[in-house]
Amino acid sequence: MPFSKLDRPAIARALAQVADREEDIAEVYFERLQEVELPPEDEAPGVRVREEGGFAVRLVRDGLTWLAARDGFAGDDLAGALREVARALPRAAYPVPPLAVGARPAPSTAEELAAFAAGVERRIRERRAGFPLRLRLRAHRRDLQVVGTRLVPGAETERWYSCEAATPWGRHGAVLADLDAAAAERLAEHLVASFRAREAAPPARGRAAVVLAPAAAAVLLHEAVAHALETDSLALGGRPEAAPGVALGSALLNVLDDPATGPAGVRRTTDDEGSPVTRRWLLKAGVVEQPLADLFAARDSAVLAPGAARRADRFSPPAPRSTHLELLAGEGTLGRLLAAAEGGLFFPAATRGSLDPLSGAFSLRLPFGYRVRGGEPAEPVGPSRLTGRVTDLLEGVAAVGGEPERAGAGWCAKGGQRMPVWAKAPAIRLAGLEIGP
Amino acid sequence: MTAVEALAALEKVFRSSGLDELEVYLKSGRSRRFEIGPQGRIAGSHRERGWAVRAGSRRASLFATGTGVPEAAGPWPRADGAGLRLPSPGPVPPWTAPPGLDAPLAVESEAIGLLEAIERELGRELAGARLLRAVLEDGSSASELASSRGVEGSVRARSAALALEVAGPGAAPARASYLLARRSAGEFHPRTLARRIADRLTVCGQDGEVGRDRGEMLLAPPVATALVRALAPLWVGRGAAAAVAALRDRRGRIGGRALTVIDDGRLAAGLFSAPIDGEGVATREVAIVEEGTFRRPLLSWREAAAGEVAAGCCRRPSWRDLPAPGPTHLYLRPDPAVRAADLLGSIARGFYLLEPLGPARVELARDRFSLPVCGFVLRRGEAAGTLASARLCGGLRALLNGVQATARDLEFQASDGLVGAPSTLVAGLELRPPE
Repeated sequence: MPFSKLDRPAIARALAQVADREEDIAEVYFERLQEVELPPEDEAPGVRVREEGGFAVRLVRDGLTWLAARDGFAGDDLAGALREVARALPRAAYPVPPLAVGARPAPSTAEELAAFAAGVERRIRERRAGFPLRLRLRAHRRDLQVVGTRLVPGAETERWYSCEAATPWGRHGAVLADLDAAAAERLAEHLVASFRAREAAPPARGRAAVVLAPAAAAVLLHEAVAHALETDSLALGGRPEAAPGVALGSALLNVLDDPATGPAGVRRTTDDEGSPVTRRWLLKAGVVEQPLADLFAARDSAVLAPGAARRADRFSPPAPRSTHLELLAGEGTLGRLLAAAEGGLFFPAATRGSLDPLSGAFSLRLPFGYRVRGGEPAEPVGPSRLTGRVTDLLEGVAAVGGEPERAGAGWCAKGGQRMPVWAKAPAIRLAGLEIGP
Repeated sequence: MTAVEALAALEKVFRSSGLDELEVYLKSGRSRRFEIGPQGRIAGSHRERGWAVRAGSRRASLFATGTGVPEAAGPWPRADGAGLRLPSPGPVPPWTAPPGLDAPLAVESEAIGLLEAIERELGRELAGARLLRAVLEDGSSASELASSRGVEGSVRARSAALALEVAGPGAAPARASYLLARRSAGEFHPRTLARRIADRLTVCGQDGEVGRDRGEMLLAPPVATALVRALAPLWVGRGAAAAVAALRDRRGRIGGRALTVIDDGRLAAGLFSAPIDGEGVATREVAIVEEGTFRRPLLSWREAAAGEVAAGCCRRPSWRDLPAPGPTHLYLRPDPAVRAADLLGSIARGFYLLEPLGPARVELARDRFSLPVCGFVLRRGEAAGTLASARLCGGLRALLNGVQATARDLEFQASDGLVGAPSTLVAGLELRPPE
């Protein structure tokens, strides 16, 4: 195990000398990151392995945060980082223990990435399609250990994959929980569908019934629900504590963030501050129940609960983010949703979205879709954009399907911190929203 | 351990695997990061030490990176995919390091004081305007490189970056974000920045819209820079010459005499100036367009064919990144004799375009571009109204030929490398309502 040899009690004692006030938040965050990348065949170098490790010491006091990050695992560096964040010389210095961190995990092999790439290409051929495709695959591993002054949770490990597919008509990126046959099938299906829709014209601007497949609904939930309910976003426009009880969307929306029930490789028991994660109701029947909060926001609040802190790396302070969103299933199949959207549009995927937390302006980009005719996806439509105010969008959810699917909602890059986000969602039908090129 | 020592230790390992091409890159640095925003006041520091190794043969290759120093014992990934070729050593012209490399990094009181001063000045310039988030990063680094072909070199760097997110007054406020880079934090001036931001928020917060309109237009440096950046496919890489061919007139020109585009990896006082690039190849000034005539694209040694001019233009933003060709300081040449105010005063009827409101959209094949902008309506050299949002549109040929004059106020923006332009007077383009 990457942190099995870490002397956690000794580090906690040293940290307690720095965080010597009752209300202080302090932790040492250790991480090892590993990424194996297989680029397209003709690109050199042929295989790329990036590994790094280090730690950060953080102290939060009176609304101020001090953070000292170091590469590597040297005891002297830890001592230096503790001194740097300390606000005064400790009353009695514990000797900082040497940092023995345990064995470095063996990197994933490029073979599994190569086999997946071959599987995707074979499935594209099986669909009688052929087009230039540059597929870049990555295997990611992240090991972390948080040591606080009192709480020393267990080490956490996340393993997942990502892909970037470049074609002459556009790029497609995805995060994947597994590189199994089902993932290859989904990727091939998406690429072939986007190939066949590549010359389709976007829909004229106007209001239309829209059905989003689970993968597209996952991106919408991440942008419109999760980002809207992060305490740092809420703080831009007012008091995060005032959010619970606000009706944000349709009564059909029951949305949770539960890092403990995500895909097997990324399940968490604690967050990146070491707080236990919870099954957090973001929206219950469309009403805000519990925003996504970290220790910074929750410390002085009787309303907010920590457990949703994430950090992209040791250089960045933690911030509230979703990890694994769930939209609870409603009733009916995708077919029933489509049947109720006659003449409208169906979108199997979304590329990205944006939300302005001050104005509530929302935008979701959809790379291609289909006109709905006779309850079925019919002729393709080109790149489209769903726009409006986030409350209108969430109030516009007219039906929630009964067949949830697990999906990677994608890479989230809010505040410059890039991290994978996951979701489990059924298809949804939206009514009365503006869609256009 | 130096890069040469690491190379010697690793050569034994990789040669035995048939990987004769080997390069070791080491980088160490320290930086400080200060933030004010919804997560309170944050002061951080970071010390880094990382390495990168490229190794390969004609048939396969690998790239590995890590923190600390590379260990010959590995484990190393198995080489795969395409073969690798590294550059051979070449002459490096004499180099004088730019001043300011040894300036101390900003301390907490100074940096937080700067961010708070920007917040305060912004409030003074425009009542109700808010600084949503401000991040100052101040850092220095030293890197060295050695390869089995005999390339050796070292580079030092020092820069400060300031990222700002701001909102104007009102219930649905205008928003803007900035990313600015200087040699040190002391070169950011709160009042100047606050005025620039307040101008933009004021303009964008008003109702000024435009129908389709033409006229002379003065592009402020951020707008002109956005266009220089968007036209990178015309300036950089193997495909540039072919892209430019369609834009040449009968005399072989692509623009007016005021159009000179340069990339210079050793620009005096340039933030990314260095004697060598990320592969150890000597940097140089490349005149891509001279007075309207396309001379040559910016090509790395790997892209340049026999007889073509190559430049050291492969940058490594960090030790985690592979060196990749691209501009270092790409800019539209300023005219030292002309003040921006002179150009402004020369416009009888037209527009002063202040800031881009998003990225430019360029369609080379269809010879057209569009850039969302805000600014002012000009009459006899003075502001006669605001332009909250519009699209600057036209053909690429019209844009390049429409460059009438440049001022002396060259400014660089941090982007993919540094891209810059001075205030630029253009004609023959059109403003249209926003999409």
